[in-house]
Formats: sequence, C-alpha cells, structure tokens
Amino acid sequence: MVKFLSEEWIENCKNYINEKLDPERDLKNITTSVLGVIEHVPPIDTTMSFYIELKGGRLDELKVNTGDTFEGKEAIYEIKGNYGTYKDILEGKLGMAMALLKNRLKLKGSKIEALKIIKQLDSLIESLRKNTDEFEE
Amino acid sequence: MSSEKVLTVKKTSLDEAVAIAKKGTHCGMCRIDFLGTGLCPSGKKHGYLAYWPQGRMELVKHLKEGKIKPTEKLVEIANSCTLCGICDKQCNFTTQLRPEKVAKAIKEHVNNLDKSEIQSVPEDDMLRGLREIVGEQWATNDPNIIVSYTRSIIPPDSELKFYIVMPESTEQVSKIIKFANKNNLPYMARSGGTTFSVTASYVLTKALSLDHGIVIDLLRLKKLEIHPESSTAVVGAGITTFEIQKAAHKHNLRVLAAEAGAHYCSNIATTGIISTWGNKYGAFADNFIDVTQVDEEGTITKHSDAGIVNPYSAETGFANVTMTPSKIITEAVVKLHPIFDDEIAVFVPFTHLKDALSMLVKLGKRDVGLSLSILSAKYLAEFLSPTIQLSRDFEYICKHHLKLNWVVSVIGTKDDQKIVEEMAEYTMDQSLMKSLILGAPRFSALKDSEFLKILSEEDDPLKALFAGPMRKHLEKSLDPSPEQVAKVYDKDLQDFFKKLYTKPEMTNVVWLHAFRILPTRMLRQRMFSGPGGSIWSGDMDHVLNWIQMFADVGDKYGLEHSLGFITPLDHGNFVYMEYDYFFNHNDPEHGHKIGKAFIETTEQSYVMGKVITLMDYLFKGMYRKEHILYPIPKGISKEEQLMFKELLESTLGGEETW
Repeated sequence: MVKFLSEEWIENCKNYINEKLDPERDLKNITTSVLGVIEHVPPIDTTMSFYIELKGGRLDELKVNTGDTFEGKEAIYEIKGNYGTYKDILEGKLGMAMALLKNRLKLKGSKIEALKIIKQLDSLIESLRKNTDEFEE
Repeated sequence: MSSEKVLTVKKTSLDEAVAIAKKGTHCGMCRIDFLGTGLCPSGKKHGYLAYWPQGRMELVKHLKEGKIKPTEKLVEIANSCTLCGICDKQCNFTTQLRPEKVAKAIKEHVNNLDKSEIQSVPEDDMLRGLREIVGEQWATNDPNIIVSYTRSIIPPDSELKFYIVMPESTEQVSKIIKFANKNNLPYMARSGGTTFSVTASYVLTKALSLDHGIVIDLLRLKKLEIHPESSTAVVGAGITTFEIQKAAHKHNLRVLAAEAGAHYCSNIATTGIISTWGNKYGAFADNFIDVTQVDEEGTITKHSDAGIVNPYSAETGFANVTMTPSKIITEAVVKLHPIFDDEIAVFVPFTHLKDALSMLVKLGKRDVGLSLSILSAKYLAEFLSPTIQLSRDFEYICKHHLKLNWVVSVIGTKDDQKIVEEMAEYTMDQSLMKSLILGAPRFSALKDSEFLKILSEEDDPLKALFAGPMRKHLEKSLDPSPEQVAKVYDKDLQDFFKKLYTKPEMTNVVWLHAFRILPTRMLRQRMFSGPGGSIWSGDMDHVLNWIQMFADVGDKYGLEHSLGFITPLDHGNFVYMEYDYFFNHNDPEHGHKIGKAFIETTEQSYVMGKVITLMDYLFKGMYRKEHILYPIPKGISKEEQLMFKELLESTLGGEETW
C-alpha cells in the first residue's frame, strides 16, 4: 500500500516516471513545473504541497513539503485544492480539467496554457494514479 | 383487502403516477404562489424537495423502479400531503399535469406496506456534524429525500451518497462549508434548480451536477425587505423572483426578472439575470448594490467590505468557463425600478426576422421602452395558449395563415408607444392581446377556417388583419371570456380557472411580462435547452448568420427547434438571443443529441466571433457587464478550436457522452 504524499509515494512515482515514461512519446519533451497545494489534509487538517519539475520531458524534481510553498522554487503553475479533490483525481473519479471547471481546483497562471499542459501531462497524472492506493481518512 | 387486490391497486396507481411524473420537467412553479392559491402545506412545513409536488415526481419514479427502500421519512412524506389540490391547479396552469395523483399513489403505496418493511436510516458522523450546525430536522441522509433532488442537482442513476442540508442563515452556510472542507466532502448549493433542470439532465451533466457530497438547499434563507425610500430590497437566497416581484409591486416598484421560480440571488450568480428588461435595467453587477457571500473556505464577505480585491472583474473566453459558482450568495441588496402609471404593452408583428431585428436594435439604441424583445411565433403561442394542442394550432395559424413569424414586444410608457407606432405600420395592442388570451381556444379552432383562408390570400395578411376591418371580425369570432378559456381545462378545475381568468393581471400583458409566469409553459411535459448568448449588434448579417447556424445544427440532429427570443443589451450595442431545442427528457438518445447541439453551437459561436456564449455567461453574473461583454471577442483560431474540443473531451468524457 502506497500512501499519497508519503516518502514511499515519492520514490515510487519517481521510479515509475523515470523508468516507464518516454520523454518524447509520453511527456512530449515538455519543460514545466507545477506546485500542487493540498489543503485540509487529514487527520489534523494541515496544508501540504508537492513540487514537480520536468525538463525536456524528464523528471527533474518531485518533492513533498508541509505548507503551501517551496523555498527557492517558483513554479510556472500552482494548483490548489482540498485533499478530497486530489483523492478523487488520483482515484480516477475526477479529471483535472473537470476539477478546474468545477472550481474544485484553483489555478494560478494562464488557464489556456494550463489546459494545453494538462493534455500533455496525461501520462504523468496517470503514473501518479498508478502509484497511489492509500489515503488518509 | 386481499393481497391480489392490494397488488392491483398498487400497480395501477403507481403506474399512472409514474406516467405523470415522467412528463414533469422540474419547472418548480409548485413552490411559488403565482395563482393566489396558497402554497403546498407539506412543502412549506418540511422544506425538502421531497415534500413538494416537484420532488414527489422523482420519488415516485424511484419507488416504482424499486431503487429505494421505504423509510420513516417516506411515511412522513406520504402523510404530510393533505390532498388539498393546490398542486393540481398550479401544475395544470403551466403543464396540464395532475401531481395530486402522484401524491395519492405514494400514500397508497405507503398504506399498503407492512410495518416491518419500513426502515430507519442510521445517522453517521457526517450527518451528526451537519445536524449540530442546522438542527436535527434540517439535515438528512434519507434516500427518499435525496432522490427528490435527482435531475435538478443530482444526476440520474446516481448512487445517492449525499447529505441534504437546509441552513437558515449565512453563518450556517459558512459552518457547513468549513465542515465539508474538513471532511473532504464536495458540496454544491441548490436554489430553485431551474438552471440545473434545463441543462444538467443531458447537457454538461458531469460538469453541472454533484456526484456525491453535500447538497446545500438554500430555501430557508427567506429574508425579504423592501425599502421604498431607497428603491432597494434585501433578499435572502431562498427568495424566488416571483416573491420579490410581488413584494416590490406593493410599493409600485419592480425588480429585473427572469424565471419566476428561480431564486433571485442564484439568478444573479448564475447568469446575471438574462431578461427582456435588461436594456433598461441592466445586467450582471448592475442588478445589485451589495451582496453577502460565502467563499470556498467558508469565509463570509460582502462587496461593501473595505479593502477587498476588485470583485467585479473576470477573465473570459472558453478557457475560463466555469461550471460552479466560486462563492455562494446568501443575501443581496438589489435594485428596484419604478412602475409608471401609463405603462402599456404594444406588439409589432413581422413576417421577416431581418425587419424585426432592425426595429429591435433601433429601439434598443434609442433606449425606448422598459422591456424590449423579439418573440418567435412559437414562443408567443406557447405563452398565450393554455394547452399544448392549442399552442400548436396557434403557431400553425400564425405561420401558415397570417405569415406572423415574429413580434417585437415593447413594454413601456405612452411616450414609448407613440415612438413605436410612428415606426410601425400597424401594431397589436393590449386589448387584442387580452382577446387572444381569453379567446385562445376559439382562435386555435379557426385553423383552416374560411376566414383565415381568405385572410391568407391577402398580399399582406398582417396588414389586412391588424390595420383593416378584419380585426373587428377576428375579435368578434374569438368571443373572449374567462368562461371560454376555462373550458379547455379538466372539468373539475373549470370553475377555478374561470375565476382565475377574471383577475385583471391574468390578461394584463405588462403584469405577465414582469412576473414571468407564462414562460414556464415552454416546459410543458417536455424539456428544452436554450443555448445562445450575446452578439454585437453592429453587423446585422453576422447576427442573422449566427441565428441561422443554430437552425442548421437543429436540422442536422433532427430536433424540434425555434428561435426563442432576442433582446437588446447595453443600450442596443448587443442583442441576447436564446435558441431553443426541444426534446423528450425521458429519451437518452434524444438527450444526447441535445448535448451535441449545445456543444456544437457553442463551438461555432466561438469560431464566428463577436459572440459571448451562454457558457461564458454561466456563473459570471457577479461581475460587471463591461468586463464580460468587452472587448468584443474575435473568432477563435483553428488551434484554439481544437483545444476547445479537447477541453470538452477531457471534462465531459468524450463526444459520445456529451
């Protein structure tokens, strides 16, 4: 069982992305960075965040932190939502674009560019899904 | 009673009830006292939709299909109906349905149950928490109550993993949101449900509905104060447009009104109130002085709070469409407008849309009138006719005998009337409209009559009818009277309708326009979807091509379709157009076609440019109209068109599920 945001989750996701995803075919040689802020994390209602950076379709960084910022990191996109929303996304019940349309995720940055990126990041989101099977209740 | 007999009774009454319920379209008119009958006592007392005639329609379908088990709440729902018959009168006026039969069937069903079959629904931690906020009575997880919200916020065939909660104050709404966040439950507010019911059944279903979590039913936020000294009203989120209009009228004031059953605050939030009175009274943030809102964190704010970030500006374009309001309006201070002593209604009939549009834009740019619109013959026929068949005959006569395809409808003062009459060769006045309302059965019976055949042979039948001696003959043959129009209703309701039609307001076109009780007839026993939007009025050919595009898409999918109405906006710089596609809401195949037509017309509108689509309107009603309408958008590029399609696929699950 791999719990969302755990050390094991970070390692598994890193390994999966590096080993299974092809930078050109799956990640379109993309260079971008995303800060995901997760609010109302159970059991004590904290805020956590993860930072993903891709360079030329290769994973450069994947980190998890408490709070809503990473020192020294300025992500191109920041998405913010509560733990339940991320859980629904990682369980495949809710798409990223739908979450944006329904205001369940808030985006900082150009929405039109973000929508382009979401499409290109399908494989990345899928890999996060495949490596997450436990959540805080 | 033998068990066989019990089964027969059960089957017959439930079957008949389901047949009625399937024709119901969630117009919600049973929740407003628009005929002066009073309100459903059960709904008024218990609040939840299941206790109103509207909600029982969904409940009975689920009971018949065996999708829900009987509970103590089901017994309460059944017993709470006094069979007073108010719902039959209300529903019959708009849709010709008899919802009391549904209530009777539920009663019979419950009476025939063995007590051992009745279950109690256990309270869980979530429900306990919600009840601590609103009180035991006003939060529930009972499936018999939850199902009543199907199609007007909950998608059909849903798992019913919901809590329904009915707060009575802004503070309670705030606490519910904080509770939802803490427990990671999605939530959505529901007011009158009118937008949900006409769009969420088949169009953008996944985007507009709530698939699990907390439904916040705002009905109990009933604050309503009229302040004549400042021409303002304070209105809570549970107040309908009809209710505020009625209260304002007592002070010779009126509010900008769209759907009668829509809750006023949510109507502001959802579309900024799209109305034929919008050229004069405004749109979007023009409607209110101040609003109280609760945001996603449960924080309560007011627009009048010092130091807040500009709340009137929003990004537009297809990448910024949103399917949920970011904040819940719980209370608003809204503008009221004066009613003048000499208000009149005048209609100008047209054969060609181009001519009607030209007049409408001229009137709009000169700020003539209070309410301005083009109504199609179909719209007019639906409004004025008390039954479906009569409306079909009415429309047939207009189109085939009179060549009356459009009317420019003007509500204004005597000064406005003079201007219109100078511009038009002939008009239909209020007295003629009254005759058409009270003589609708006779008018429809004239279909293919000698009188109309002779009239249709005239070069200009409209002129011959409205500016010549034929008008006198028409009015005489209509024999307009309350008795005449009451005859088309069920026998046991005829006395009621005879009395109703003696009330001056029921034939007063100005009153009917302001209170908006007739447009609900568009939803009689079938559903419609009304895409459209605002278009810059400066290029007439562009406007006409845009409208034609909607007709072409309707033909492509084999849908019954018609332009609904056009109304000017922002001193005639724009016109708002609603194009209606009608469909059988019980037929998923039909529903999917509607979904495709909605998306395709929206995409084509983006490509054509100079259009602010209905999608761009959704949930942007809080912003200044200047931020939504300007800059006038250009047509999108091929690359952006592709992105629009991809956005829909990723959000709505691919073309087959639109």
